[in-house]
Amino acid sequence: MMTPQKIEERIREIFDENYELLRLEGGHALTEDIRNYALNQVIFYYKKMREVAEKVTETEVKLSLPGQRTPKGRRFSIEGVVDIVREEEEVWMYDIKTHDLDFVLANKELYEKQLNIYGYIWGQLRQNQLDHTAVISTAFPIALRRAWQENDFAKAMYEMEKWNPLVEIESDPKNVTATISDFAAIVDDIEENKFEPAALETLQAEWGSSGTKFATRVCRNCDARFSCESYRRYVLGTGEKGKASFKKYIEDIAPESDQEEWLGASLTQTDFDNL
Amino acid sequence: MLITSKTDIERLWKQQNFKPNNNQREAILHVDGPLFLTAGPGSGKTRVLLWRTLNLLVFHNVKPEEIFLSTFTEKAALQLKEGLQILLSSVKNETNRSFDLSKMFLGTVHSNCQRILLERDFSKERVRRQPPVLRDELAQYLKIYNKRYWKEIVESAEFADEEDAQRSINQYLEGKNIASRHSAVQNVIKVFNRFSEENIDAAKVQTKDPLLKQLLKMYRHYRQSLIISPELQEVDFSLLQQAAYNALLEYPGSSGVFSHVIIDEYQDTNPIQEKIFFQLAAGKKNICVVGDDDQALYRFRGATVENLVEFPQRCKDYLKSSPRRYDLDINYRSRKHIVDIYKHFIDKCDWKKEGGKGYYRVADKVIKANSRDALLSVIVSEKDKAPNVYKEIAAYVKKLKAEGKVQDYNQVAFLFPAMKNSARVTGFLEAFESLGVPVYAPRAGRFLEVNESKAIWGLLLKIFGRPKYDEMSFGLQDFNRWIKDCIEYADQLIESDSLLKEYINDRKQEIETVVGDYEILLKLASRRKWDVKTPALPAMIDEMAKNPSISLRAKKNLNNHFFRKSLQIKQKEKKPFSLEYVLRRVTALDWSILDLFYQLNGFRYFRDMYRLAETGLDEGPVCNLGLITQYLSRFMEEYVAILTAPLLYEDKFVRIFFASYTYALFRLGESEYENAEDPFPKGRVPFLTIHQSKGLEFPVVVMGGLFRKDREASKVEEIIRHISKKEGEPLDRISEFDNMRMFYVGLSRAKNLLVLPRYKGPAAAHDAFRELFADTKFTTIQETNWSAIPEAVLDQEDLGKNYSYTGDYLNYRKCPRQYMVFRKYGFVPSRSQTMFFGNLVHKTIEDLHQLLINERKKTTV
Repeated sequence: MMTPQKIEERIREIFDENYELLRLEGGHALTEDIRNYALNQVIFYYKKMREVAEKVTETEVKLSLPGQRTPKGRRFSIEGVVDIVREEEEVWMYDIKTHDLDFVLANKELYEKQLNIYGYIWGQLRQNQLDHTAVISTAFPIALRRAWQENDFAKAMYEMEKWNPLVEIESDPKNVTATISDFAAIVDDIEENKFEPAALETLQAEWGSSGTKFATRVCRNCDARFSCESYRRYVLGTGEKGKASFKKYIEDIAPESDQEEWLGASLTQTDFDNL
Repeated sequence: MLITSKTDIERLWKQQNFKPNNNQREAILHVDGPLFLTAGPGSGKTRVLLWRTLNLLVFHNVKPEEIFLSTFTEKAALQLKEGLQILLSSVKNETNRSFDLSKMFLGTVHSNCQRILLERDFSKERVRRQPPVLRDELAQYLKIYNKRYWKEIVESAEFADEEDAQRSINQYLEGKNIASRHSAVQNVIKVFNRFSEENIDAAKVQTKDPLLKQLLKMYRHYRQSLIISPELQEVDFSLLQQAAYNALLEYPGSSGVFSHVIIDEYQDTNPIQEKIFFQLAAGKKNICVVGDDDQALYRFRGATVENLVEFPQRCKDYLKSSPRRYDLDINYRSRKHIVDIYKHFIDKCDWKKEGGKGYYRVADKVIKANSRDALLSVIVSEKDKAPNVYKEIAAYVKKLKAEGKVQDYNQVAFLFPAMKNSARVTGFLEAFESLGVPVYAPRAGRFLEVNESKAIWGLLLKIFGRPKYDEMSFGLQDFNRWIKDCIEYADQLIESDSLLKEYINDRKQEIETVVGDYEILLKLASRRKWDVKTPALPAMIDEMAKNPSISLRAKKNLNNHFFRKSLQIKQKEKKPFSLEYVLRRVTALDWSILDLFYQLNGFRYFRDMYRLAETGLDEGPVCNLGLITQYLSRFMEEYVAILTAPLLYEDKFVRIFFASYTYALFRLGESEYENAEDPFPKGRVPFLTIHQSKGLEFPVVVMGGLFRKDREASKVEEIIRHISKKEGEPLDRISEFDNMRMFYVGLSRAKNLLVLPRYKGPAAAHDAFRELFADTKFTTIQETNWSAIPEAVLDQEDLGKNYSYTGDYLNYRKCPRQYMVFRKYGFVPSRSQTMFFGNLVHKTIEDLHQLLINERKKTTV
């Protein structure tokens, strides 16, 4: 049996291999900073959630709910992938998220819907009834990140102790029927090529309970925003478009910190001498 | 309880309204030993595969993970999987059993090979292995085409120089004394891939042929260069299969992992695949192959139809067992007259082996039509000069729509033997254009020549400038003409949109600014005698920032606090940035070439295209824009992702992007290289190659061209015969056989109506068609009895589709348009750090869990 130290060593090796592989496949890179942050997400997850991790029986479990019909009579199946499952004493299903706990908590509804339907499919597919579903957020708190960076071991231990990455999600079967019928209606829309952008009002409103507007959280990260009527109206308004504001709109590529990250990563990724 | 009686599956058939014919039934119920299914066009092959697999799973207790099922395309695999899921869900109600299909090896040969290389089942220790990195066709080409790499590989084979190598290779393989690097690269790739697929060990080949020796040396160099480290290597598609085969040989238990090996489209498999399949089936001997030798299309990619034709003998050789054969020979797709015609057509060729011993074809199968509809359904044009034939047929298609015989233009497919530089394609395009009927033909010319490409590349040329040439080869002259076209096209767009004009000028200005800054800073460095390779000291950066001549943006970048902070950290870590790095960083543009693309899409000309797609009016232009993002992102992956002044300086970027990368794409576009699966956008008549139509069916098929020359066998074919000492179809008849099979595929795609043009003049029709016209009575377009043509029904998605909760549902709910752009049309996002981050963490956590699971297993054992 490998010791936890040995396992952590293996994590580092596996992480490096995976990084190299993904980089070669996608042609993208991360800065050292962000890379270390990613590695620490895995290591801290292992440190904190060892009990869970060691009881996992299956990973990447593919679920499928066939035999559905849309309101207009189309047949379809619903598919999903669950990150990890544990099937001893109690049956647990976990979804792992890399965004922060606050976002998960604020948008619990979103995850409830998803895990409820996954749980429902699980029940249909396997004989072993599900007991619990939960989300695990691997984005550890900033305080922990800081303590770690500053090599403050005691502080890091304290923060680690305080950190709770697990959010249990209640199961609610009523939820499932509603989700499936909403899903079915959307299949019809997709099949009928209905692809109008989200409405201006949606862009102006808060997205979920994220504390930010839809336009900031979703649109600003969408490359297709420059050609999008809703986003254009959101930025420029409906009246006469001043040239100055148009320039600002079209040249707005990314927030400064993202831009720096992109710049740093891209510069290290390219082999300039070999061009 | 094991349910074995036939009545159970029969009850399911009844329930699902499926009435198999005798051979279908036998094929489905066959369980033990090798099975050989010949499957004519439209013979319900997919259904048989579906029910046979279900029979194994449900009534013979075969586990999903014990089945290896390989299809020709991902789409076919998906269809099978979806069909199985639906059937199994109805079984569930009866038996209360469920099946996890994700454990089944169901995919293309390539994806199944990748899985073999990944899965723990195929390694002794059950440990996870590092799979090889796959280079697809374009990446393989770009690797070898790379100037530096090409020099290296040519030197490894002791050619005098590159030009000598190019001429010798082109002369040897193509019989053309031309110096083109592009042609030489394409030629060696063909040979390399065949070597890999024939599992040839270059070190062991004995030959006196000096050029073949050189090619073998190049191949060895190529293989060596794919090894990145002892743990990690790259493979192309052909080597992926070889790697999988080797993995099977290394693992003693490999022949016992699957109890059933099922291969679809067997006529298009290659020698290394055959080895893989028989290796997998060696234990239980349950190999089932399905295919139609008459529809073999992929010899040019190394497929050998002999795998199918000689399957009974191969079974004896490999498994010491003879297969059971059933012919799926009843056609349910086409009206009777269509079936009669293509049967008659394939018999126009003599398939007998010399000496009269057997056939180069499974000759004793007899295709029958299920339809008893005796009305004529193959229609011909008047025999006339080509332009008149184009007009007559185009008008006929318009009328088919007007009369309601088809509901959408995308139900009428035009099939061509080849589409590049085809006068037939151009002729039909013009005929449709004058009638105002939209066409979708992205493969007609080069993809770079569609309007969307011309607009994007034209605008890029306006911004970055065009490459300049002193001397121009024939290929370059053509390319230069295209460049001129693009620029003219862009000029028109700019003239009609003042905002675009201003935007383009701003970008040009920006480039001038960063290049200017770079020159000033370089001068400063040389005055101060700073070596750009040495660490950048804070004092240097301060001095640069204070230089009065540099632009505000450079000043801002030099003083940027993120930058300064990372500089400090690097210094503390004793890994300081070099001055060269700093120069790149402060003169880098804020946008990549893909960012630029998305910004350009914000101008009127492109915005209108998105609007058409959002409401489903016309998908054509947006499909093309999506393809463009794939080409641009490929450039960023293979060359450079970020635009810095040292790169923009002295036109280096122009050389890399236009003169090298775009030129390579341009030349690749001449061949039928781009034969990916294209969409069939609504509202447009699709033009496609016969190869692309494989496995598809259309209510109406128009054969756009009926001619292809029978040629000599290629040199590559000769080389392979020489090295592998295998026998096969006679080299001088290969091309004739291939042409017959290709046209047969085209003819058999039609459901309700097949239209044949009768051209006058040269290259009017292949001999087989000439004979067909002479000995068969056809209805002409003018004689059409409109009431006898059935109306096309919209495609029944009888099996249903899979929708992912996160990928489809959540994304669509967030924003339907974003879903359309990235999910439906496959646009490549420009910034994907967040995605990369998430994938990396998820993948590593998954591996961690697998490690822990294995650890636990060890201790319990």
